[in-house]
Amino acid sequence: MIRPGPTLAPLAACAALLVAWEIGARLAGIDGLPPASHALAQIPAILGDPESLLHIGASLRRMVVGFALGVAAAVPIGLTMGRSRHVAAFFNPLLMVIYPVPKAALMPVIMLWLGVGDASKTLVIFLGVTLPVIYHSYQGSRAVEQKMLWSAAAMGMTAPARLVRIVLPAALPEILAGCRVGLVLALITMVTSEMIARQTGLGNILFNSLDMAQYDTVYAMIVIIGALGFVLDAAFEWLRGRLVAWAEPSHPIMVGTT
Amino acid sequence: MIAIASVTKTFDSGKGRRHLALADISLDIAAGEFVSILGPSGCGKSTLLYIVGGFIPPSTGAVLVKGERVNGPSPDRGPVFQEFALFPWKTVLGNVMYGLERRGVGRQQAQARARELIAMVHLAGYENFYPKELSGGMKQRVAIARTLAYGPSILLMDEPFGSLDAHTRTRLQNDLLDIWERDRKTVLFVTHSVEEAVFLSDRVVMMTRAPGRLKEVIAIDLPRPRSRATLLLDRRFQDYVVGIERLMDEPAQEQHR
Repeated sequence: MIRPGPTLAPLAACAALLVAWEIGARLAGIDGLPPASHALAQIPAILGDPESLLHIGASLRRMVVGFALGVAAAVPIGLTMGRSRHVAAFFNPLLMVIYPVPKAALMPVIMLWLGVGDASKTLVIFLGVTLPVIYHSYQGSRAVEQKMLWSAAAMGMTAPARLVRIVLPAALPEILAGCRVGLVLALITMVTSEMIARQTGLGNILFNSLDMAQYDTVYAMIVIIGALGFVLDAAFEWLRGRLVAWAEPSHPIMVGTT
Repeated sequence: MIAIASVTKTFDSGKGRRHLALADISLDIAAGEFVSILGPSGCGKSTLLYIVGGFIPPSTGAVLVKGERVNGPSPDRGPVFQEFALFPWKTVLGNVMYGLERRGVGRQQAQARARELIAMVHLAGYENFYPKELSGGMKQRVAIARTLAYGPSILLMDEPFGSLDAHTRTRLQNDLLDIWERDRKTVLFVTHSVEEAVFLSDRVVMMTRAPGRLKEVIAIDLPRPRSRATLLLDRRFQDYVVGIERLMDEPAQEQHR
């Protein structure tokens, strides 16, 4: 079946945005807002430059490491919180305090401990990722049906085994929803951390160009970061769809209705 | 086989208030007996079943199974819940195999056994379906097969057909009796349907409104194997149903037993 609507709509949205930008920039005529065509023209140059590719690579490396460590730490905490009132009572106030703090705002403090290198930036990304993943894992773990756990207990599974073999898969759709939020936050904290501690990375190129009034490059970088976010999210959604296909709603098959 | 000895259960309903769910229940169930627990909703009949399963502890009293005190769940007491409680990330085959694999049965053997059971509950051909793709009746068939798979000698059934439509319900009742006739496991079956209780059981245990007490235990003396078509026409079946319904409608007087 050919359904042009859903495929064309996002392309139309992108095109409309670019046209509005182009026209707006030409009408406004401000230095700080170059037309879309000028900014987009910079993209091949940036992506063709080995040095900027190294920067992008460094950013992605920190992001992946921070994200992976964040998920690895957050999922066990969230799942245990969901199954134990005591663990939840212990972590909940801590999370409440940490949640509203913008993680990038901690960057200057963290730099005092760990310097301006990879360690500080990865830690900030880690902090940005952990909270949403903990929160979603906690909700997912709490919602696991009691009777499902009892069924497993009757098979002779101990509580720790149930946490890994029942709670984890049962909560996976919710955990992955948290990871998706975490992934976007990882990208945001990655760029912000590089704004504060400039040395390498996507954010470094962006903010250095801003300082040097190379606005075409600034906007080109913004487009690149946006595209990167889009690609990462799409890749993640693809993976998520494969992992939790069993949870997606579908019509029950009514052949032989018993 | 099962000895329920002076079991009471009190729930903490918050703010220091306590709610008495079960008051002094004593009951003995013989090996191979099919016993239904019948009562109005909220009378604690499911709670009693969960206590026998070892899923929740009694407040006082004890449950002995084969002479040993119940301290927690065991593969010897297999539950089947109204909510099915299947593992949604596993296929039908995966669900039925699960308990076998946990008990250390090899993959090949577990698969072969699971396929037999799936055929026995009339779901051959659905091995690779996920629970979300099945109707309620089919899900409950999978749940029954999953529990039978690890070979419990006692089945604890918590209103297993309560959420199914009338037609599906009678088909599953018939099939359950067929399965039960093969090896006559001990069954404790919670229901609020009088007809279902009389049709299936050797004895029907009636409970009062909350706090749940035993009101009456009625032996159902009807020939086995039973078939719904003959029983519905049988005067004795009708008498049991009408008699029990009358008893249920009686105001909750101080019945003692």
